[in-house]
Amino acid sequence: MSSFSKSIALSTSKAILLGGMGMLLLVIVVFSLSKGAFEISPLQSLAILLSDTGWIAEAYTNQQANVLLQIRLPRIILATLVGGGLGIAGAAMQGLFRNPLVEPGLIGVSSGSALFAVIYLVLLPGLSSISWTQQVGLPLFAFIGGFIHVIAVYLLSKGSGKARTSNLILAGVAINALAGALIGLTLFYSDDAALRSFTFWSLGDLGGATWQKIPTAILLILVPAALLLNQSTHLNAMSLGEQEAFHLGINVSQLKIKLLILTALIVGVSVSLTGMIGFVGLVVPHLIRISFGADHKLLLPASFLVGAILLNLADLVARTIAIPAELPIGVITALLGAPFFIYLISTFNQTKS
Amino acid sequence: MLSASEIHFCVKQRPIVDQASLSLEAGEILAVLGPNGAGKSTLFKILTGDVPCKRGEIGYNGCPLHQLKSKQLAQIRAVMPQHSEVNFPFTAKEVIELGLIASRSSQPQKLLQDVMELTQTTSLQNQQFQHLSGGERQRVQLARVLVQIWEKKLFTRYLLLDEPTSALDIAQQHTVLQILQQLKDRNIGVLVILHDLNLAAQYADRVLLLKNGMIEACGPTTDVLTEKTLSKVFDHPVTVMIHPITGRKIISTDHFYRNPSQNINKAYYGNSI
Repeated sequence: MSSFSKSIALSTSKAILLGGMGMLLLVIVVFSLSKGAFEISPLQSLAILLSDTGWIAEAYTNQQANVLLQIRLPRIILATLVGGGLGIAGAAMQGLFRNPLVEPGLIGVSSGSALFAVIYLVLLPGLSSISWTQQVGLPLFAFIGGFIHVIAVYLLSKGSGKARTSNLILAGVAINALAGALIGLTLFYSDDAALRSFTFWSLGDLGGATWQKIPTAILLILVPAALLLNQSTHLNAMSLGEQEAFHLGINVSQLKIKLLILTALIVGVSVSLTGMIGFVGLVVPHLIRISFGADHKLLLPASFLVGAILLNLADLVARTIAIPAELPIGVITALLGAPFFIYLISTFNQTKS
Repeated sequence: MLSASEIHFCVKQRPIVDQASLSLEAGEILAVLGPNGAGKSTLFKILTGDVPCKRGEIGYNGCPLHQLKSKQLAQIRAVMPQHSEVNFPFTAKEVIELGLIASRSSQPQKLLQDVMELTQTTSLQNQQFQHLSGGERQRVQLARVLVQIWEKKLFTRYLLLDEPTSALDIAQQHTVLQILQQLKDRNIGVLVILHDLNLAAQYADRVLLLKNGMIEACGPTTDVLTEKTLSKVFDHPVTVMIHPITGRKIISTDHFYRNPSQNINKAYYGNSI
């Protein structure tokens, strides 16, 4: 039996659960499409989306179709891919670090990616002005930054043999602070006024979504996310410990490198597209573990779907709460995520002592 | 046969395991005993492949350890470490099922059922591993490693356990060792680190005594477990008696300290069995 078919084999109940989450995501997408400064009803949204088939006979104006197809749809697709990517990357990182408090933002992967993205934009303006290098170069630069930072955190937290939670969090704090300062410094010295603001990098923004970004997102978020699904059985074994995983026949160092690359890729590319959106990768895997257990065969795909749902909802709030202005999306996710993180720390300490 | 020849491991010039050679055959239980810091765990990790040894050679069924990929090795040997923490809410059954990764069984459900019955973990299967008591966790871990090698194969397999009875009460300790005995006719060799001398006396076929990284004695249980050897290895006086029913040896650790310079020591050793 190939490890692939084994690792994605799911019981029917879990398949139904995932199907339900997928349906919920679709409903939210349609609902989200019809909300905003410009009025479009859900039925009109469906009519516009399915206009080629002509299944839904509902009148709509050209302007409505343009708003929906050119502004809202790419934004919602981007929210789905980035939210899903952050969810699954968070789940995989927690499995890799064997620590439920790990999140790409908290341990400094996101800020590492943001730092490298900013450096790319500011210091290599020649490259970033050519459009195709921006579509590929920026995400890849962000990936390199995230990869370097995740390895740095991993090594720092393992400094004294076993990875300890406090070490991990402190290493994350240090790296976040350093990267944040360097981002600020780089932006300060950039003379390009059009360069996106510090807010974009620190709190995230889906407003810049265009169709040009979607192929990058599909290729560099969806593909690595699908590859992560294949590692679910091995992540289960890693939850016992690296030694135990080795005893079960897993090539642990190879697995770790694979996981680090895939998660850094997802996070780095997400950051390069939408800035740093915090806490999605922390909250989502937790909600799923509390409700449905820790098995990565369910946890990974469910984290993708719920991450997508959560970010779509957060984006909906961000762009409708103060029409016509928009809140940075990171404000919403942090408002949800930070109290959750505090709650986790308190329960984590209780179970440890 | 699992064989180790002249393996050597040192940290900062200090030998932890020194020129150790041993062998483990199919169908036997080899107990490894020794005081704290004797190098038992290091020896164990070298044998399991966790730690590469600096010198010496380890072979599983004639194949050098370093030539085996982790996947191949997992088919031949299962390991139960002393502590395994799980930070996520896995159920006991999910933990046990991990053994299937290596076993590649054609009838996984039957395999799981058999092993869970044997280890009395059937009733625990839907509980969260984190919420189990120390003894229950140990049984679940034992079930997991048994799943890995339980099915009969043509080649010999090995089970290595690092103090599997440490968190168990008396009845459970015997349950575990009786399970290990049942592995003998499944073409499996068992190496187990034990702290309890009496468990070793009752269940082991052979005993290996380790002190300061060196093998002090290795041989059939009755030959090795003598007052003289044990007192020397553990730096503590012991009395060895014979169990009236089983005929096996019973080791009593004495509460008084015998100073080697005192006469009592001479008198004592003079009477040793």
